[in-house]
Amino acid sequence: MLNRRKFIQQSAFTAGAMLASKWSMAEDASVQKLVILHTNDVHSRLEPFPMDGSRNQGLGGVAARAKLIEEIRAAEEQVLLLDAGDIFQGTPFFNLYKGEPEIKAMSMMGYDACTMGNHDFDGGLENFATQLNHAKFPVLLCNYDFTNTAMEHKTVPYKIFKKGKLKIGVTGLGIEMKGLVPDNLFGNTVYLDPIQKLNETASMLKKDKACDMVICLSHLGYQFKEDPNKVSDLILAKESEYVDLIIGGHTHTFLDEPVLVKNRLGSDVLINQVGWAGLQLGRLDFEFSKEKRKNFSGAKTISVGKKSL
Amino acid sequence: MWLQKRVTFKGYITVMNKTILKLFFSTGILFIVSCKPAFKSTSVQYKDYKIDNATVDTSYTSFLRPYADSVNRSMNMVIATLAADLEKKQPEGTLGNLMADAMKAMAEKYYNTKVDAAFVNYGGIRLPVVKAGVITKGKIFELMPFDNIVVLQKMNGKLLKEFLDHVASRGGWPVSGITMEIKNKKAENVLINGKPLDLSTTYTIANSDYVANGGDMSNMLRAVPQINNGYLFRDALIEYFASFTKAGKQITITIENRVTNAQ
Repeated sequence: MLNRRKFIQQSAFTAGAMLASKWSMAEDASVQKLVILHTNDVHSRLEPFPMDGSRNQGLGGVAARAKLIEEIRAAEEQVLLLDAGDIFQGTPFFNLYKGEPEIKAMSMMGYDACTMGNHDFDGGLENFATQLNHAKFPVLLCNYDFTNTAMEHKTVPYKIFKKGKLKIGVTGLGIEMKGLVPDNLFGNTVYLDPIQKLNETASMLKKDKACDMVICLSHLGYQFKEDPNKVSDLILAKESEYVDLIIGGHTHTFLDEPVLVKNRLGSDVLINQVGWAGLQLGRLDFEFSKEKRKNFSGAKTISVGKKSL
Repeated sequence: MWLQKRVTFKGYITVMNKTILKLFFSTGILFIVSCKPAFKSTSVQYKDYKIDNATVDTSYTSFLRPYADSVNRSMNMVIATLAADLEKKQPEGTLGNLMADAMKAMAEKYYNTKVDAAFVNYGGIRLPVVKAGVITKGKIFELMPFDNIVVLQKMNGKLLKEFLDHVASRGGWPVSGITMEIKNKKAENVLINGKPLDLSTTYTIANSDYVANGGDMSNMLRAVPQINNGYLFRDALIEYFASFTKAGKQITITIENRVTNAQ
């Protein structure tokens, strides 16, 4: 039923878009387009899975991902490339090089930003800080306080990207470390309430910085069936304000399609996550129109459809 | 002449108006930009690309080569030699015995304390057999791909018995420092360091953090505080296996009736 409704919405949208493109010869400056590419939980999978008969053999790896990203960048004007954490740990590359080739490859691919996952603590905070010397992109986190740790001043709570006429605010959330990350690895890091910190940041980005869109890179996890009250992207989206998109990670969830959730203000929040190990690259093509409402804090809806080739 | 003058006048007014309007609009737009978004997202189209390596950017392959060469060299590093095939088996197997011994020995070394018993959850052993001959670092990564950490927990005999009953109900897990029989899915005739289990004695137990955190249904361990220095179980295996080589020995391990099914 939901799919059917989405299909109808999508058909209506496509038909509308076709008519629009037929009738307006020139680029319509009141419509802006943004392509978001995203990964999560790549876990040091720099090379494809080995050809050993396993389910994922021959899949993943930076060489193929980079090629695809280059092709999309060549075809699209405004692209953001984002990662939702757990860059580290999972192949011997990490055990040997402590994350250097992972961060270097992401810089080569032109990642715009990432957040930090629990496994990015695995080599210790000193190591993560050291490896970030190879990063040409910021680590976004608004709910970890790294005061008096090696990571102090190495992350920023948000970054605003100017894409054409659009202002896109991006922030990030890390998961609670206690019980997940060994105590000695996170040291003095203080975990702050993700819902509260996100809402503060998102409200500031929308109201004070006039961002047209707010994206949260979240390593909280999509949902926890055995612990349904544990904060997850589904709960976060519901409790959020002024967030348009959550790019998730941690639970290695392969979503068939992005999930829409109504937030506290009745507006749509989109959640997406693309499994793990760089097996997939997620793509979301957003269209924007001029904001005409006098009071922009009213409920906002978005139509979601599957991109035809 | 009159007409021309009028046009000029009118033009002047128009220019004036435009300037005023421009001023008005620019201020207005500035005002709008500074306090509310100019655009809103109205639609989104999604697509997931499978990264199938049909086409690649070879500059990345070149970038990775020196790292990959080293990784392969490292993974091909011979850690030890096995005298005989090791098997994953329940209630007891040679592969599990070796891994549990590694857990106990390395926990004692890295926490500098006596450990009464060590466990490995059966499902955490990721190879059914390790063949006799050389064992490489890569093989140990296959055996234990998870980044489980060796942790210590102190518990009284009563709670330990509860955990042992759980181990028994799962068909028997690899143990070191302990012997027991499985009877009606319970642990019976438990001996620790050769002495019968005492319900009020405090024992020091080594486990993976996965099990200590309640993994594989070990819920009874969840509330027990952990001592955790981040030492990976895989590193413990590598070091323990290498200690045989250092001593000029091959690895030999047998079935010692650590865990048996009661007749």
